[in-house]
Amino acid sequence: MQPSLLDGRVPARPLPSSPALLGTEVLRLDQVTKLFPGVRALYQVSFDLKRGEVHAVCGENGAGKSTLMKIVSGQYQPDGGSITYNGKIRRFANAREAERAGIAIIHQELNLIPHLSVAENIFLAREPTRGWFIDRAALRRNAQACLDRLGVDISPDALVKTLSVAQCQMVEIAKALSLNTEILIMDEPTSSLTEAETALLFQVIHDLKRNGVAVVYISHRLDEMAAIVDRVTVLRDGRYVSTQEFAATSVDDIVSRMVGRALDEKFPERTSVPTEETLLTVDNLNRAGVFQNVSFTLKRGEILGFSGLMGAGRTQVARAIFGADPLDSGSIHLGETQLSIKSPRDAIAHGIAYLSEDRKSHGLAVKMSVVQNLTLANMDAVSDRFGFIDFKAEAAAARTYIEMLSIRTPSAHQIAKLLSGGNQQKIVIGKWLFRQSRVLFFDEPTRGIDVGAKFAIYQLLDRLAAQGIGVVLISSELPEILGLTDRVAVFHEGRLQTVLTTRDTNQEEIMHYASGYNRPLAIGVAAQ
Amino acid sequence: MTDLSSPKAPADHLSAQELADHKARVMNDKKKDLIQKFAALASLLLLIVVFSATSDAFFSVSNGMTIGLQVTSIAYLGIAATCVIITGGIDLSVGSVLALSGVVAALAVKAGVPIPLGMLAGILVGGFCGFLNGVCVTQLKLPPFIATLGMMLVARGVALQITGARAVSGLGEAFGELGNGALFRVVRIGSDGFPDVIFPGIPYPVIIMVVLALGVSIMLSRTTLGRHIYAVGSNTEAARLSGVNVNRVTLFTYVLSGTCAGLTGCVLMSRLVTAQPNEGVMYELDAIASAVIGGTSLIGGVGSISGTVIGAFVIGILRNGLNMNGVSAFTQQIIIGLVILLTVWIDQLRNRR
Repeated sequence: MQPSLLDGRVPARPLPSSPALLGTEVLRLDQVTKLFPGVRALYQVSFDLKRGEVHAVCGENGAGKSTLMKIVSGQYQPDGGSITYNGKIRRFANAREAERAGIAIIHQELNLIPHLSVAENIFLAREPTRGWFIDRAALRRNAQACLDRLGVDISPDALVKTLSVAQCQMVEIAKALSLNTEILIMDEPTSSLTEAETALLFQVIHDLKRNGVAVVYISHRLDEMAAIVDRVTVLRDGRYVSTQEFAATSVDDIVSRMVGRALDEKFPERTSVPTEETLLTVDNLNRAGVFQNVSFTLKRGEILGFSGLMGAGRTQVARAIFGADPLDSGSIHLGETQLSIKSPRDAIAHGIAYLSEDRKSHGLAVKMSVVQNLTLANMDAVSDRFGFIDFKAEAAAARTYIEMLSIRTPSAHQIAKLLSGGNQQKIVIGKWLFRQSRVLFFDEPTRGIDVGAKFAIYQLLDRLAAQGIGVVLISSELPEILGLTDRVAVFHEGRLQTVLTTRDTNQEEIMHYASGYNRPLAIGVAAQ
Repeated sequence: MTDLSSPKAPADHLSAQELADHKARVMNDKKKDLIQKFAALASLLLLIVVFSATSDAFFSVSNGMTIGLQVTSIAYLGIAATCVIITGGIDLSVGSVLALSGVVAALAVKAGVPIPLGMLAGILVGGFCGFLNGVCVTQLKLPPFIATLGMMLVARGVALQITGARAVSGLGEAFGELGNGALFRVVRIGSDGFPDVIFPGIPYPVIIMVVLALGVSIMLSRTTLGRHIYAVGSNTEAARLSGVNVNRVTLFTYVLSGTCAGLTGCVLMSRLVTAQPNEGVMYELDAIASAVIGGTSLIGGVGSISGTVIGAFVIGILRNGLNMNGVSAFTQQIIIGLVILLTVWIDQLRNRR
């Protein structure tokens, strides 16, 4: 038995760490069905989980992964089927009840309170008390014990708002462990982590496994699953497809099960070549403390990649060109005309658009309908000179883009908040297509989006370039950069290191520049 | 057009039983939605029925006119407050601004300015106060609550200062025309020599209310400006990145609010033919309450003028009906407070689903 880490103040149920228990069933879902107005989110899905395993749940957006997990964690109640937990049939009325029973979920959007300390967050609403007062010493000690067990170097006194995303995730895990969690559900845990942070997370997950915790792992990043996943269950359109040992399958196999067809290519063939006509010229852009001396050109019909590590300034450069952030100095030319961009309005008026990586807080008016979001950036096209909206023209425009981008929505008047992430992203893209933009900055357009929808977005980028639009693709995924772009600009700590021709480079060379080295690699990449 | 859809098998069909269950569920949800959407309207009708039963004088043309007049000031302020609240803001200054506007109009008329010009001056002062609110919110980046709280004190202080805290009276009969006059009023001199009112006419304040409600409602639902107001309230950053001039849109709502407060001030003072620097205390709360009862969300992004007008009538009819039933002013406050809590709670239930 592992020694109790909570020095007896917080009642600790012994962790199910006995080797005899490892591999025994902890949770079983039988024929679970969940209906929503207009959608059948899950239909007779079965799922089982063993102690000490990492069980991945895969599926495209809308396949029912989140719904399944919300049922397991008590946020939703199933309309049919049963849940057996620790040998008993259970029905959790809410998330709190499931949490008490030992099922914790860590959401993609982390749920910590920024202004409280790490310790206060871990023991939120369960603070150790002495009389009427919080026992601060015990709080701190208990929190430290939780963090030590994870082997992470985070001070329990640090305010959460000062932590990185990866650190916040560790705090969430620490919180889950302090609850004596038997089942830990992780939704897209690595989507905003660097590789080093991901490695640390995987180390922690390994330790959890050894202690008999069952981990449900939801991710779109199939390639990194090999490191930790034991079994994988695939869902498609709310139905159960298969459960396999991860070792007995392959990423390609999983993908084809997810989409219901074999996916021969991850990236579409480029159908166009960039013209020689320079569309956008950026010269010596500076913003103190953020980026320095950034210069590049973008040709008509070109896809230019922005590569670099997190915090290299790629997003900031794009936002500054778009007028969303101020610029200290530098010039921007569109064709021959020098632009003076003071706000996004100016940029949009010149046909420059920026699709934020954070579509929920920066891209979408979530309480407004699909059609209202689609036309928001181009109201002039659907209204007369007095500002009266032509609802027929607006509906027609919306229909066009809903069809073109195959946005899955019950109606054009559906509230954007209620759609899946991939569909929301398509709405944002549709908005800028309707604006007839000439230069489009895509900031991580495929983050958190399933494989099928990703491919559709890749195809779309290619079509846009073929129409003579200049596309800038900001992406942290090197295969995406290599598979789609014509040239790639590599950033490191606010500097544009170099612009490489994609055809003549490789992952290693890009990473080399992204890590801050200026000299070309000695190995003969130029010869390729 | 390019087809970018990914080939995907259509979802297979639901079983008949499932389909029926599902349909029933959807119908049920729709019904619920409808019922709750009209909760405010239903409670309004309920109030009318109850008060008609408890008081003989309630359901009459003349009392209807009285209610109409009483409701107008709440409605003017509520309509403008709706726009401000949809953007995610709040305007606490309207009660003070209406007093300032009213006394400015009265002082101008006293000083010999023609009545229409004097009133226009009053309305412009209101608009200017709103403009200052808007500047504080959009340029100085003050929270709307603070900016308009400041204006609430400043405007009231100025109104008291320029009048010496005394009512401005002796404004002449014509000053009362806007507040007391009516369109299509038919009066005949009876056989006894006294005038006989055959049709009381439609009071000017009521006409202004209808015009204002229709105008703002059309602005919100049918123009780009209205769409932008909702967009700012729904997600300010997304609106800005979509090219919406967030500052101008926000500024507009505060100017509208101030202007409507100015109008309310002129109408109110005209009705009394006296300008009181202490008029309109707590009116901002009635305005906000009418918007909220009508389904406007204080978080922003949601709201409608029809709802607000219903909300204004709920408050007006409650006051009038309770008066007629001899309920004390103190008890009235308690009841109106509870009604606000109840309607907002129902609205929350609807949104939680």
